[in-house]
Amino acid sequence: MNLRFAFGLFFLASLLLPAVALAQARYTLSGLVKAAGTGETLPGATVAVPALGLGATADATGAYRLELPAGRYQLLVSFIGYQTLTRDLNLTRDQRQSFQLSEAGNELGEVVVQGSGTLKDKLQTTQMSVERLTAKEAKLLPALFGEVDILKTLQLKPGVQNGGEGTSGLFVRGGSADQNLVLLDDALVYNPSHLFGLFSVFNPDAVQSVDLYKGGFPAQYGGRLSSVVDVKLRPGNPDKIGVSGGIGLISSRLTLEGPIKKGKGAFLVAGRRTYFDVFTRQINKLNQDDPDFNPIPDYYFYDFNAKANYKLGEKDELFLSGYLGNDAFSFGSGQGFNFNFNWGNRVAALRWSHAFNSRLFLNTSASYTGYKYEISNKLDQFSFNLASDIQDVNLRSDLDYRPGNGQHALKVGITATAHRFGTGRLRAGSGDGRLNLGSDISYLGQEGAVYVSDVYNPSEKWQFEAGLRASGFQSGGQQYGGLEPRAAARYAVSPTVSVKGSYALMYQYVHLVTNSGASLPTDIWYPSRGSVQPQRSQQVAGGVSWLLGDGRYLITNEVYYKWAQRQIDFKDGAQLFVNPDLDSEFLFGKGWAYGNEIYLEKKQGRTTGWLGYTLAWTKRRFPPQRGTSGINNGDTFYPNYDRRHNLTAVVIHNLSERVKLSGSFVFSSGQATTLPLGRFAFQDIYGSDASAVPIYPQRNTYRLAPYNRLDLGVVWQMKPTRWFPESDLTFSMYNAYNRRNPYFVYFDQVKDEQTEQVTSYRARQVSLFPVIPSVTYNFKF
Amino acid sequence: MTRSTLISRIFDTSRRSFRAAGLAGLLLGGAGLAGCGLQKDIDVELPAYPAQLVVEAYLENGQLPRISVTESVEYLAAPTPSVPTDVTATLTLPDGRREVLRFAPGQDRRTGKLYTHLGPRTLAAQPGQTFGLELTDTKGRRVTGSAVVPVLVPIDTVEWVFNDKPEAERRAYVLMRFQDPETPLDYYRFQIHRRRVNSNPEVEYTVEDRLSNGTEYTLGTGYDFKRDDTLVVSLYHLDRPYFQFLQSVQDARNANGNPFGQPSAIKNTVEGGLGVFTVLSYQRRQVIVK
Repeated sequence: MNLRFAFGLFFLASLLLPAVALAQARYTLSGLVKAAGTGETLPGATVAVPALGLGATADATGAYRLELPAGRYQLLVSFIGYQTLTRDLNLTRDQRQSFQLSEAGNELGEVVVQGSGTLKDKLQTTQMSVERLTAKEAKLLPALFGEVDILKTLQLKPGVQNGGEGTSGLFVRGGSADQNLVLLDDALVYNPSHLFGLFSVFNPDAVQSVDLYKGGFPAQYGGRLSSVVDVKLRPGNPDKIGVSGGIGLISSRLTLEGPIKKGKGAFLVAGRRTYFDVFTRQINKLNQDDPDFNPIPDYYFYDFNAKANYKLGEKDELFLSGYLGNDAFSFGSGQGFNFNFNWGNRVAALRWSHAFNSRLFLNTSASYTGYKYEISNKLDQFSFNLASDIQDVNLRSDLDYRPGNGQHALKVGITATAHRFGTGRLRAGSGDGRLNLGSDISYLGQEGAVYVSDVYNPSEKWQFEAGLRASGFQSGGQQYGGLEPRAAARYAVSPTVSVKGSYALMYQYVHLVTNSGASLPTDIWYPSRGSVQPQRSQQVAGGVSWLLGDGRYLITNEVYYKWAQRQIDFKDGAQLFVNPDLDSEFLFGKGWAYGNEIYLEKKQGRTTGWLGYTLAWTKRRFPPQRGTSGINNGDTFYPNYDRRHNLTAVVIHNLSERVKLSGSFVFSSGQATTLPLGRFAFQDIYGSDASAVPIYPQRNTYRLAPYNRLDLGVVWQMKPTRWFPESDLTFSMYNAYNRRNPYFVYFDQVKDEQTEQVTSYRARQVSLFPVIPSVTYNFKF
Repeated sequence: MTRSTLISRIFDTSRRSFRAAGLAGLLLGGAGLAGCGLQKDIDVELPAYPAQLVVEAYLENGQLPRISVTESVEYLAAPTPSVPTDVTATLTLPDGRREVLRFAPGQDRRTGKLYTHLGPRTLAAQPGQTFGLELTDTKGRRVTGSAVVPVLVPIDTVEWVFNDKPEAERRAYVLMRFQDPETPLDYYRFQIHRRRVNSNPEVEYTVEDRLSNGTEYTLGTGYDFKRDDTLVVSLYHLDRPYFQFLQSVQDARNANGNPFGQPSAIKNTVEGGLGVFTVLSYQRRQVIVK
């Protein structure tokens, strides 16, 4: 790949675009659509000119643009759950006009569910394989321990699997958890989970929406193979100071927001913290005199989100976003052993948005992201400290241009990232200073990309999107790069039926080092270097969307096929901690995934929700290499997140003005897992009793029992009071029919109680969560 | 500079603690698994697993060769030992001579280990020499292996330090020092037994010289020992195949019952079957903690 050529292409495009802009004659109406009161932007809102039969949909930032001939018009601004706004306009020049929509309230009898515009918008867009969720929507659904989690809600969408009971990891169309590009206001988040994956780092009070791209990736995204999880923080209320929060079973939340300067900007600061450590400490204290009592480990997490925006002028605006989160786990045996384990992310992003004119926009941002974990261990006089981190500094610039004829939407951009991989830092020693050992292994890497893309509307029937991304990476004196073409097309068979197709090639230059089969805080990121080359995948997808029932229902069917090279895994027993020769522990293979996703959704009316069914296969093959027999003796195997069938149903019903009911049901085929097929007796060098050693000749050949679960929820909006004009009680019933879903299976010895002799072996299934009721109190004033 | 590799032990402790931490964390929000009926027996159907020969052969200089040959079984089979009686075991000495070990099941009183085959004469093994082992049976199965005698790495010092607690609660930790040779890829197994070595050790872990080759190592324990305890401190110098075998056995055991564990194949030091064939090289010191 010739990077110089790609950079040249980018700058050429940058120079040419303004010249093209000057050649246009029609006027542009542009601006933002926001919610009155909260100032929240409304992606998907529609600005229409009925007299001309023209309209535009607000994008992910709530911005819309319309090309109109000069004249007087009546505009209709609408969005689901909000009152339609009518405005007269005399267009004599390019003009910026923002609108504020008031909530429809309950008189419409609708559940207020935002989505990516109307189902008709979804039908008409070229973009396929994308799911949008808002925090508002997620908050209506029942949640484990009442903790609303927008990533877990995404697991209810077709094509998305979870990594195990209750976990927030996403496995998208056969991709592993590290192949998701998780962005928070355009800044990367490396480990988006708390509590060993049980909760995501995204506080629902601070999040506005999340877009999940499963395929057909736009060219501005790159660096991961399987999905893009684009999380947007909510802007603060620009009109007045507001406080909101919630008190839940395991955590509490508090958000403060308000204007920075009236009409100029707003801020939002949101924090939350768990508090079961408060209770466990008390339990430990009460039992401290009981010699048989094992102290409960101390655990908590907290996180803060902040966002501020400030208008520098008519054409310039600054956005500042930040995240700070930490998990802390500690255990003291009281017998000389102490264990502390802390991990967390730091994210900061500053974005400058500039409008050259009503057709040309530039967004430039600088961001920092870091993830770190540290284990401190003390055993009597010996101490031990193990840490790993990754830090990125990123600069990016994106230019949007929409020529006056309305047929094109061009986008070009450039991004550059400096990585620092601290793959292992070890300190060990004794209190008397006689023992001292240290090791520090770190690498640097630089990543860059340029892209150009265009959405082209030649006619009502056809719409095309084409993009090309040129990406590169270097570390340890080695350079890698590649071209990543992206393409998508939509053909409108009729006003209610569209056929779509897409293709995307992706490269991934940084890799997660884990052999746990799950994403853990101790996972390490490693650059492409030495024998570890960039991962690569390609995906083709095709689908048909059909709007039914006067636009109230949209049924979509998509098929996809994905193939990936240079997938990574690790040798059995690989030493992943503080290994200066980590490179030699990798194994490389191929992966395939294919499937069919059917999705029926309803977004309007008293009852809304969706029904999704996925039939999918995911396979991997790691042939013999590096002195090993590969994985599964080189034969193809199913990774543990492979599920043949997956059915999800979500229903939200507005029972009355103040009561909303919700339910979600999940059924999926059993998880692929590895059980020992045989065992042998091992005496070792001393003559103790022989013990059984399990033999695992094959990988993931056993399927756990199918998983199914029903969750129920009720949101009861309480009567307004002087101090709390808005408050509600949210009840959740996780696993309502108390099914014992399998978490894992193990083999156990059965012993005679008298003689302690092993009499037989048995298989035991462990479940994690029984029925769990919870209640959360939310307020706002 | 004095170097220590507590790493393996602390790693091991950390891994265990981490798993405990993970599971404890998971359980904090829910409830104890057993207490809430979240565990149950299930029937599983596993693919047929053909039995393989399993060998444990630890040769020692100056000792009669004693090896045990058993068979692996399906995991859920009855716990009856499966000992084949038709296996011919042949030892190849460094000079190329082959000695057949006769099938004579018994127990080694010195180590407490059960064996199935016994050599005709005591072994002379010098560092660097290579021994070979071949097992054949009437079903046509054949297991082969070879092992090089590791050099002896002597123990330099063994010392102990008491804590400051009252006499009844006073405990000592033990430190053992040795010099790691300049050669890379050295592996060690550290054990402390109370009085005799034919039972489970009080302390045991393995270390490698990956992070600090050729330096002085200090291996230690926690405050585990009382005054007047009689301890046997052992330092085994292992070769890489034997170390990897031990690690893989530990990993395979850990994977059973650990939802975060990746199943580990056994890294046998023999071909055609399962198990280990090695020559032990170790030094021992007996101390009384005063």
